[in-house]
Amino acid sequence: MANVNWRTINVDALDPDSPANFDLSSLAPSVAPVSTADVQSLAGQIRQLLRGGDNAGALQGALENPPYGADAQGKDVHLATVIEILQSIRQADMSPILSQIYSSPGGTEALDVLMKYIYKGMAQTNAASSTRNITPQATGFSQVHARGGGEGGSQAMSVLLSWHEKLVEIAGPGSIVRVMSDRRTV
Amino acid sequence: MAPPDVHHLFHHPIADHSFSADRQTLAVARDNVVDLFQRSDNKYTLQDELTGHDKTVTGVDIAPNSGKIVTCSQDRNAYVWEPTPEGWKPTLVLLRINRAATCVRWAPSETKFAVGSGARLIPVCYFEEEDNWWVSKHIKKPIRSTITAVAWHPNSVLLAAGSTDGHARVLSAFVKGVDARPEPSAWGERLPFNTVCGEFLNNTAGWIHSVAFSPSGNALAFAAHDSTLTVVYPSAPEEPPSAVVSLSTQVLPFMSLVWSTESEIIAAGYNCEAYRLQGDENGWQLAGSLESKGRPGVQDSREESALNMFKQMDLKGSTKDDTKLKTVHQNTISTIRSFEESDGQVTKISSTGVDGRVVIWTL
Repeated sequence: MANVNWRTINVDALDPDSPANFDLSSLAPSVAPVSTADVQSLAGQIRQLLRGGDNAGALQGALENPPYGADAQGKDVHLATVIEILQSIRQADMSPILSQIYSSPGGTEALDVLMKYIYKGMAQTNAASSTRNITPQATGFSQVHARGGGEGGSQAMSVLLSWHEKLVEIAGPGSIVRVMSDRRTV
Repeated sequence: MAPPDVHHLFHHPIADHSFSADRQTLAVARDNVVDLFQRSDNKYTLQDELTGHDKTVTGVDIAPNSGKIVTCSQDRNAYVWEPTPEGWKPTLVLLRINRAATCVRWAPSETKFAVGSGARLIPVCYFEEEDNWWVSKHIKKPIRSTITAVAWHPNSVLLAAGSTDGHARVLSAFVKGVDARPEPSAWGERLPFNTVCGEFLNNTAGWIHSVAFSPSGNALAFAAHDSTLTVVYPSAPEEPPSAVVSLSTQVLPFMSLVWSTESEIIAAGYNCEAYRLQGDENGWQLAGSLESKGRPGVQDSREESALNMFKQMDLKGSTKDDTKLKTVHQNTISTIRSFEESDGQVTKISSTGVDGRVVIWTL
């Protein structure tokens, strides 16, 4: 007994009433599982709208059917679709489209979903560009960024940042707080 | 509309506050003591200090009729303070919890009170005449996480509890021998202790900051950390509610809410100002702020001398003092309570927050 470091014992595992011993998923609203194939077919339909020039419709369609129940691959497919739509909409059209979605029924929900994708997109472009920019020597700082990767990342980031700005104007900081507290991730 | 009555008590956060029935005594939780302020000449002066807790006091409530004060703290204890000629006499309450107590409220009958705790249970405490002692009964099921807010139904039997697991629950806190049998209501007919009359969750499932029954007790509102306000209208016992209205707001989350009428809620929180929300079973909406924007005198605009202006330019690079918020409260509002009522309508509310101010608002 003297050898057991009692500070490292996980006491929660021994307590039958402990929150470690029940299914946490029962606390959150349940989500229906979605297969990757479904997400891909939805992406196809949305691209169809996008090719037809109906950017607003494509965005609305993508935001109304977030694949909460999909696996990581399915979620990535939908993220790529949303980012593609966001990049194809001109800056001047952002606010009118957002106001239109906001005033439609279920609009705040759709904008919250958009906020989730904006943050997820930012996280992804960051990760992608930082892995490309790793310098072989541990110099502590790097003056020159790898041009190609950094450029693409920063361009995607600037699109997301301007969407973020426009979105906060309409949906307010409440939308950001909802993204942080929501357990249904995209 | 009369301007708000602002009193800056001290530079400490106020976790909770409560006024006596005559509104002359104000109890505020400050660190690990409760300060009692007495109103005189439109000012609050420190009258007494209730010391006894050795951790931060999280809740204080004055019973309107008996004048007894109940306090609870992170030291896992609660005290009932009774006024005696020698001062306030504390009685320890046996909560039997192994985590901090987070909130406390007297039942309208004043024969018992409920304490929220981090131990995933709610001690409902009542006075045991035989032992001359406050004892507690635990509401345990189906709470899965810390209780952050409790609120009583007007019948003193039903209790609403908000939790960090995102659920607002309506539970029975019927104690045999203390309560009379309650009238059946839309929440339930037979209500033995720990009956679960309803469990509500909104889509985003943020943790709950505040719960409140409407004045009639026939609706329940809760505010969560996802910036939503959800109002539940029950239909009949054991039936799904007739309406659950959830309003996602654009502002930061609400920390506290008060029903002013059956169709209006005042809510305040991280935005440092109080908002008016109106609606019914068909929908709720944010009607506006209680603050009148651009009111003169909020920002104390002094006459600036040229010397002072250049001095400020030199020191700070700007002539404007932008360290102040445009709202009356300068930090998060943590508690709002009804201050004055007439004809079943709340006409004044009091608010306290992290900035150490107590403000009385005319609705």
